[in-house]
Amino acid sequence: MRSHDQNLSAPAPAAALPSRRVRAVVSVLVALHVFAVFVGPWALPPQNSELSASAARALRPYLEVFALANGYRFFAPEPGPSHLVRFEATLDDGTLETGTFPDKREHVPRLLYHRYFMLSEFASTLNNPNLPGDRGGAVARGYAEHLIAAHHAKTVRLFLRRHFVPRPEEVRRGMQLSDKALYQEQPLGVFTRDTP
Amino acid sequence: MTSAARYIRAWWAEVVALWNQFWFRPADPATLCLVRICAGAMLVYTHLVWSLDLQAFFGDKSWLPRATLDALQVDSFSWTYLWWFGNSPVALWSVHLLALVVFALFTIGLFTRVTSILSAVATLAYIHRVPGALFGLDQINAMLAIYLAVGPSGAAYSVDHWLKRRAGNPAESPPLWTANLAIRLIQIHLCIIYLFAGTAKLTGPAWWDGTAMWMALGNMEYQSLDMTWLADWPRLINLMTHVTVYWEIFYCALIWPRVTRPVMLLLAIPLHMGIAICLGMVTFGLVMLIANLAFVPSEFVRAVIPPRRQGRAGDDERTAKQSALRSNRPSASPAKR
Repeated sequence: MRSHDQNLSAPAPAAALPSRRVRAVVSVLVALHVFAVFVGPWALPPQNSELSASAARALRPYLEVFALANGYRFFAPEPGPSHLVRFEATLDDGTLETGTFPDKREHVPRLLYHRYFMLSEFASTLNNPNLPGDRGGAVARGYAEHLIAAHHAKTVRLFLRRHFVPRPEEVRRGMQLSDKALYQEQPLGVFTRDTP
Repeated sequence: MTSAARYIRAWWAEVVALWNQFWFRPADPATLCLVRICAGAMLVYTHLVWSLDLQAFFGDKSWLPRATLDALQVDSFSWTYLWWFGNSPVALWSVHLLALVVFALFTIGLFTRVTSILSAVATLAYIHRVPGALFGLDQINAMLAIYLAVGPSGAAYSVDHWLKRRAGNPAESPPLWTANLAIRLIQIHLCIIYLFAGTAKLTGPAWWDGTAMWMALGNMEYQSLDMTWLADWPRLINLMTHVTVYWEIFYCALIWPRVTRPVMLLLAIPLHMGIAICLGMVTFGLVMLIANLAFVPSEFVRAVIPPRRQGRAGDDERTAKQSALRSNRPSASPAKR
């Protein structure tokens, strides 16, 4: 089977290539870079080996600066339930303002909606007791502080809503994607304006 | 020298020759420059949308303030200049508008050597500032911005090139090894992305029993088109699921041979447009297709966007005459490569 590239079937004359020294330097840089590109997804937890984790530790500055520490695990291991964040903001006069993000009606265009969707998914991912430190708490506190400032609120209560996907047979029986039975909710905390 | 040593030496020489040809063979920059236009437009749009809620994402009272990121990223090497401007809305808007101008100049190919590097720096800066609001779009944006800064992405289809022609320089940019290098880096990076996207799915039972696509398409938060009618077509769901996994896993092998490359590229269109139309991720679907452009041969790009269409009729002839006058040589029609 022939390669699509002209490179291998019709090699360029040596004079057309950069100098030997340039090739040597660039080759080393390219090899290191391609290795780093591979290590990014290879070493991403939780499914990684000690070997891949060691490589990632060695390359950490490079991976982080160039945003290469990505899993590229789109919809893997499986497309699961999605997550939303619901909030209740209590103002100084006792008024209650509520909301949820992401919100398709409020967050337009779709890319902005997706930014808010990723914020709620981020809260869900880090709301994991197995992770070191209170990462979920730090994220929730950040969201709450933003909502307190945006709504001039005294108190904000946050909830994580998990929205499951119905099975095809349930949809065939008439279940809607928005059926209340498909939602689960758990509190993320109560935050006051003066919470340190 | 023993025959074994001769064999190894010949093998090594062949490896070096193939490596040199793969990475350093001069290439027409047409494909790279087409990628620049598309990726640059995506960078403009991506960052234009940040403008709609700039303070909420990048201000001092943002969703992800400094204290949160400090708690999440201990001893991190992530760095962004946006931290310097978060406290002042005026400063933040100024630096944001500057970034939009840089992306726009990069897209049209003006001062491309500088704007390509600034675009990569700005893209990474936004990524490092809001890690919790990112998705695949941002990863591909960063990848393309970096490689477009490595290669001569303004050598064709650009204002820079048009200005050069008006100044009397050769009408066509010559093949450049840096153009090849940048395209190769995009190609290899894309292969690694699809390899891990595919192999990661192998750990999920739903990708084996063929129901994964239903779980994605039936997700109300992703859904932008009602696909619940697929509940009556389980085998179609199975087919879409299996094709997605196998296409992603085998992409890194089948994208290279002449026979299979067009098939893989054609399959990329329904796969990524499906994500765009059905799952509401138009930007992500499009940016993946833009990255796939790296596998389109430059001859094809030149055939679709001929060089002569870049300027007004007569530009080539006038440029050639100007060149000839400057060098006191007889005028000659530019040869079409």
